[in-house]
Amino acid sequence: MNRIISILYWISLGAVLCFITLPLIVVVAASLSPTSAVTLQPWEWTGRWYADLWSSRWLDPFLASVKIATVVAAISGVLGLFAAYAVVYERIPGSDALMSCLLSPLSVPQIVKGVAIVLFLSMIGLQGLLGTPALIAAHVVLALPFVTRMVATSLANFDANLDRAAQILGAGKLQRIRLVVLPMIKPGVLSGVTFAFIISFNNIPLSVFLVRPGDSTLPITVINYLEYSLDPVLAAVNVASMAFILAVIFLFEKIGGFSAQLHGGSK
Amino acid sequence: MNSLALDLHPPARRRRTLSWFPFAALSPSLLVLSVFFALPMGMMIGMSFTQTETFSPTLEHYQRFFTDGLSLAGFCRTALMSLLVAVSVTVLGYPVAYFLARSTTRWRAVVFALALAPELAGVVLRTYGWLIILEDRGFINDLLLQLGVISSPLPLSKNLFAVVVGLTHVVLPFGILSLMTSIQGIDPNLERAAQMLGASRLAVIRTIVLPLSVPGIVSSMLIAFTMAASAYATPALLGGAGFKVLATMIYEQVLFYIDWPFASVMAMALLLMMLAISFVGVRYESRRRSRASVSSGGER
Repeated sequence: MNRIISILYWISLGAVLCFITLPLIVVVAASLSPTSAVTLQPWEWTGRWYADLWSSRWLDPFLASVKIATVVAAISGVLGLFAAYAVVYERIPGSDALMSCLLSPLSVPQIVKGVAIVLFLSMIGLQGLLGTPALIAAHVVLALPFVTRMVATSLANFDANLDRAAQILGAGKLQRIRLVVLPMIKPGVLSGVTFAFIISFNNIPLSVFLVRPGDSTLPITVINYLEYSLDPVLAAVNVASMAFILAVIFLFEKIGGFSAQLHGGSK
Repeated sequence: MNSLALDLHPPARRRRTLSWFPFAALSPSLLVLSVFFALPMGMMIGMSFTQTETFSPTLEHYQRFFTDGLSLAGFCRTALMSLLVAVSVTVLGYPVAYFLARSTTRWRAVVFALALAPELAGVVLRTYGWLIILEDRGFINDLLLQLGVISSPLPLSKNLFAVVVGLTHVVLPFGILSLMTSIQGIDPNLERAAQMLGASRLAVIRTIVLPLSVPGIVSSMLIAFTMAASAYATPALLGGAGFKVLATMIYEQVLFYIDWPFASVMAMALLLMMLAISFVGVRYESRRRSRASVSSGGER
């Protein structure tokens, strides 16, 4: 009986892991196959879909997405850092209520936020902002609460005695922030910024309302195309953008990791 | 944690609160959130209660939501789909979460990476993978046709089944994480003790692990439900016209029918569904906390 149970357990574990990896494997296979159909017959591997990625059809939306995600990561990183600093470190009056305000967008589904923003811009006659400016604003609203929360957590968790020690040793406030607080919370800030970048780069539910023809992001371009065709070039686009995301994470990890090893000094 | 940091330097705090800088630091965030979140949300809520021509307050859009048949059906489809996703995420996630919580071998890192890696791939890539697999001329149908099991393709895409499969895949990592945290909190000695006293594996799982991991099961189901109900891309691509949910219907109202008040009503319906679910979660958590503090207080 115990034997059967443990065999069943291992089978179910294996089955779930197959379920998780299957679509990823299929997409990678499709990106290398001559047709979109992933069949069991052997096929000639081809790299031509990856060569197609260099056309402006895919390169333009990719660059637009990178640009938007970079601006969003920078803005929400700075705003989130300042907001968390004011609320958690300085404990300004009403800080709990302010924190709830800052985190309130999290409880609204993205699609609802998207509708609200597009209706708002249309109502006040600012449709001209649709495209990159509206995308940046909406993505900042989306990313800011996450960044604020991550920075706030690292501010709340860091040992306040270090700050006190610096104060006792005569460090001024700006000095303490620059030399003690910022280096201590750097991993939190960096992971917040990385997260903001990814969440903006991959976003669909907000972007779908705010793009304009000719001013679109990569995921939206892909899903619009997907509704009509399963062209294998889409598989190549998806694999390449996942590789790009992994590279971004690796890069930020390197920045954070190095500085943490150099006793948290500012670079 | 917050209060700890606060209590450590009260004198400095009194002087600091007089300074203007923290307020200046906070204001850009509040400004951005007011202009691009609070104001649009307020306007949307207002619009859902406003008559289109006369701008007088009305409930007609809500009335239409309940009477036109299609909208309410979409609401129910969304709830059903999210419930199915919640159940399948929790059932499929459980063995993986148990393994991650209990294993000490090097395979743990491998399984952990496998379980979470899809999260980095983005929703589009995964949905595209399921399209290739489930389509009429897709992987599964191709396989079954080749083997001669079926003579015509099974309808695996553009329906509830496809959407639930796709969303389960999207949400699974989050379910696994919350189940894992909960199972890690169970003392492994309880399982060992039961086993020593002669309980079978099944009895250990049924009488110890499952009951003690109920909080994790609840939170996994809540996370899965809310993520599924608000998902857009997966239902749009895997459900298409054959299976419309609130999220895709809202999109249609805004971009095809250009009926803003009705889009607002649908968005409100989705928002209320989510808030109701979160409320259930908060209530459950606070009741559990109070029970836990009462029982641990008694032991002391």
